Order: sequence, then structure tokens, then C-alpha cells
Amino acid sequence: MQSLIDTLATQFAWIQNPVVVARQALAGVSNGMLLFLIASGLSLIFGVLRIINFAHGALFMFGAFAAVTLTGLVPEGLAGFAGVLLGATAGLAVLGAAIETGLLRRIYRAPHEFQLLLTFALVFILGDAVKLIWGREDHSVSMPEALSGSTQALGVTFPTYRLFLIGAGILIALGLWALLHRTRWGIFVRAATMDRAMLGALGVNTRRLFTTVFVLGAALAGLGGALAAPVVSIGPGLHVQVIIDAFVVVVIGGMGSVGGAFVAALLVGLVNAFGILAFPGLSVVLTFALMAVVLIVRPWGLFGSPE
Amino acid sequence: MNRSRTLAVLAALVAAALPAALSDFWIFIAIEVIAFALYAVSFNVLLGYGGMLSFGHAAFFGVGAYAGALMVRKSGFAPEAAFALAPLAAMAAAAAVAAVVGFFSVRRSGIYFGMLTFAFQMLLYTIALKATGLTGGDDGITGLKPPGALARPAVYYVFALATVGPALYVLYRLVNSPFGITLRALKANPRRVQYVGVDVRSHQLAAFVVSGAFAGLAGAVFALSSGNVFPAWLNWTASATPIVMAVLGGVSSFLGPALGAAVYVVLEVVISGRTEYWPLVMGVIILALVLLMPAGLTGLWRRRGAP
Repeated sequence: MQSLIDTLATQFAWIQNPVVVARQALAGVSNGMLLFLIASGLSLIFGVLRIINFAHGALFMFGAFAAVTLTGLVPEGLAGFAGVLLGATAGLAVLGAAIETGLLRRIYRAPHEFQLLLTFALVFILGDAVKLIWGREDHSVSMPEALSGSTQALGVTFPTYRLFLIGAGILIALGLWALLHRTRWGIFVRAATMDRAMLGALGVNTRRLFTTVFVLGAALAGLGGALAAPVVSIGPGLHVQVIIDAFVVVVIGGMGSVGGAFVAALLVGLVNAFGILAFPGLSVVLTFALMAVVLIVRPWGLFGSPE
Repeated sequence: MNRSRTLAVLAALVAAALPAALSDFWIFIAIEVIAFALYAVSFNVLLGYGGMLSFGHAAFFGVGAYAGALMVRKSGFAPEAAFALAPLAAMAAAAAVAAVVGFFSVRRSGIYFGMLTFAFQMLLYTIALKATGLTGGDDGITGLKPPGALARPAVYYVFALATVGPALYVLYRLVNSPFGITLRALKANPRRVQYVGVDVRSHQLAAFVVSGAFAGLAGAVFALSSGNVFPAWLNWTASATPIVMAVLGGVSSFLGPALGAAVYVVLEVVISGRTEYWPLVMGVIILALVLLMPAGLTGLWRRRGAP
């Protein structure tokens, strides 16, 4: 018994060190913001189109690779970096429009297995396309100098880029909220997550709504990939893990709920960050255990509604 | 029914004559076809008959593969006894896991059922990855060898046939029994079946356990032939395989998925021998299948009729 307490005490010794706790919290929150960018699109697409887009991680990966290419084309500095972010977002929006109008649109009425297979096919195609275009080796993107240093806050030294990610994530979340709650389009989107048929019956052009939702989701994934580019290793396997994290977030937050995706993304980000300290090697199991518990206790997610 | 019988007799004749005509390499591929045929058919008991789309069926294939491998590697029995018990251990382990996963998953229907199976699969995948002592972690279990003459492909082929053949027969009898007919009725209209007095969930759970157990058997038959088990067999990308096979062959006939498995395995061997971009080619094939040939291969010569 005493030895168990001792083990736990050493295992959790970091709790007494505020600097470590603050750093992990920051890393968790900033990773949570990146997760939110992917998960919010995944959640919106499921809510409106009723399709689980397994290729969403691949879109994120394309955003990161787009940042690799664009960084080489623009001048250094903040303006160039902003250009990279915009370019990746726009590029993925175009790819999203092509996928929705060219492929997804044909299978909305098909059985689930066909929708699933189509997005799986996209995973395989996009995963290999990355290898064909950018090669098999890992790439990295350097961050603009203004964001590359460290910042003192609360008596702790933080990497500036992590703080920037948190700020950017909050801004994007606010923008999404305004889009969904303060525009006509947002009303349609929220109505579609409740009852698509009724929305169509009321004369809303659901066809165009589907396209715009998918384009927004793809653009968010692209932006997320470009923002993540300076802090991840950009290789052809990036999407396999990313989609799983995003999926966990969406299931915990509730399919179709953007607010739920925000809360769950922070939760998963923090669980990952502190799980690594508390249970090294088992942190991945923690997030899945969290998801399993949510699925069993509240299958529609924390912020979702029962079907 | 008649077409299935013709197909079965034809398949049995071809299967019996094969080893004489093939090199060891192609006998090995034929064993793979036999294992995956059982995998695809057991998966389709859920999808084609029960209308339940599992996104996580690779979990049971993988659990069976690990159980069979551990029986041979670590049980401490004499090699012959361990090998004889391996298929039983695989079925028992996969059935036990399927009972737990199914217990929670059949509470929901449609796409939410799929997501639950997906979530549990990822949980099992991380366990396979992290329980290094049991599973070998990332390295998997390698160097498995069947005892005595069974190590020769032509002999193992007979063993695989003698295992999978009866298993397919059991499944065939099952789907045409009152149980199977109720299962089909559940696919068509669960509410009505409930009104008749059938316990829907326990019926679906029973189908899920049977399907999982036979998927596990398929996993063990394949693992002991290939000599390896890897955690990637349980990863989410692996769960596309039985879906592709079932849809490729046609979900509305009993042996359609087996035909799909044969075509898929042979395509993989031929194409991945010529290009490293097999996933890309497979993605394009899946796209063509989904968009152009929704009834699958068996649908090409039969235009109507449910299983």
C-alpha cells in the first residue's frame, strides 16, 4: 500500500511544479485549438450532410503540405505567413468544392456503406496523392520570426507561437459562432442539422447549402493544417492519426455541434497533455477511454441531442 | 438461393483442384482468399442480412489473429495441440470481445451503431499497440510457424479449406434459419418485428457475436498462414477492407462477398506488384464501384431479388 502511494506520488510529482503545469496546460489548449479547426468542420459536415468524412484528416494534411509549398513562394515575415494561411485555406476550399460537387453529391441517397466507402476511397487517393506531389520524406515549415520566440506570462516562459495558436483558435471559434448565429446562412445550417427535409420543403436551396458547408469544413481543415505546419512533422502519414483525434473530439462533443467540438477539443487537448505526464505511454488509451465512457453514458455526446 | 448453390458448388470444385495447378506463392494467395472470404461473408451477415454497418469489424479479425497467434506462441501446449486449439481460441476471444462491443453498440442504429463499433475498434487498436508484453506492440508477433507438414502451403491450404468450408456452411444455415429470417426482417423494419414480440437488441447482439466470432476465425486462419500479426490489422483503415469486399461482390447474395474477397486479394497482389501506389489504385476502384456499379459483381448477372 505504502509503495503504491509512493509510486503515485512520484508519478504525480509534477503537480507541485506550477511551471510544468502551466506549460502542459498551454500545450494542451493550443493543440486543442488545432483539433477544434478539424473537428468543427467534421462535425458541421456530419450535422448537415449526414456523412462521416473520413477524408477530413487528409484535407488537414493537404493544408499542411500546401503551407510547405507556399512558404517557399512568399517573402519571409508576418505578411508572407498570412499569405500562406490564406492560400492554404483558399486552396482547400476549392478542393472541397470539387469533392462535394463532383463526388459526394451523387451519393446522398445511397446506403451508408456507399458513403463510407467513398470517403475511404478519398483517404486512399489523397494519401497517395501527397506522396506523388511532395514525396515520401517529412517536411517542416519554419514559423515567422515575430512568432518564433518566447513570451513571459504569469511568471512562466511560453513559446510565442503556442500563444498565437490559442488566440487564432479563439478568433476563429468566435467567427464561426457569429456565422452560425448571426447570419441567414447560419440559421439554415442549424435548421439543417435538425431537419433537412423540412428545410428543403420550406424552399431553401439545400443543394447549395450542402456545398457551402463542405467547402467551409474543408477550408477550416486547410487553415488548421497550415497553422499546425510549423509545430508538426509534415509527412504522408499525418492524416491517419489526425482524423482519429478529430473523430474522438466530435463524438465527445456531439455530432453536429460546433460548440461541443470546441469544448471537447480543449478537453482532449488537455487530457493528452497531462496524460503524457501522469501515464506516459498510455495517454492515447486515455482519450479513447474518455470517448468510450461518453458513448456509453451519453451516446449523443456532451452537447449533441438524441436522434 | 439456386444461384448461391451453383456458385458454392463451382467454388468448391475450383478450390479442390487449385493446389495442383498453382505455385507455392499462389497457393499462399489462395489461402489468403479463403480466409478473407470467410471474413467478408461473416461481415455481410451483419450488413447484407441484418442491415447493420459495422465500421470496426477489423477489430474482431485482429483479436482472432492475436488469439490464434498467442495460442501457438505462448500457451505452452505441444505445437500440434496448440495449433489445433488456435482456431477455437480465436473464435472464443473474438466472440467474447464482440459480446462486449455489441452489448453497447446495438443500442443505437444506423450510422451511430457504426460509430460505436469504430470507437471500440480504436480502443482495441491502442491496446494492441500498448500491451507490449502480450502483443509485441508495434512490432507485432512474427515468425509463427504451423507444426510439421502444415508448414507446407499445399497442406495448410487443405487445413484452411477444411476450416473455412464448414464455417461458411454454418453461416449459410444460420442466415436461412428462422433466426436469419428474423434478422432480414429486422433490416427491413425493426419496429414491426418488435411489435411481433421479438427482442430486437438481443437478436442483433446474437448476430453481432456470431459475425465477430467467424471474423476472428478468419483472422487466425490468415495469421497462421502469413506467420505474422500486426496491430495495424486493427487500425481504422483496415475496417474498409471487409466493406469493400462485400460491396464489390454484392451484399445481397450469401457468397457475393466471398467473390469480392477473391477479386480484391488477387487485384491487390497483381497491382501492388506493379506499383507502390496500390492505395491510390484501390481508391479509384472503390470510387468506380460506388458510383457506377452499386449492386456489385453478383449484381451484374442478377438484377433483382434480396438475399
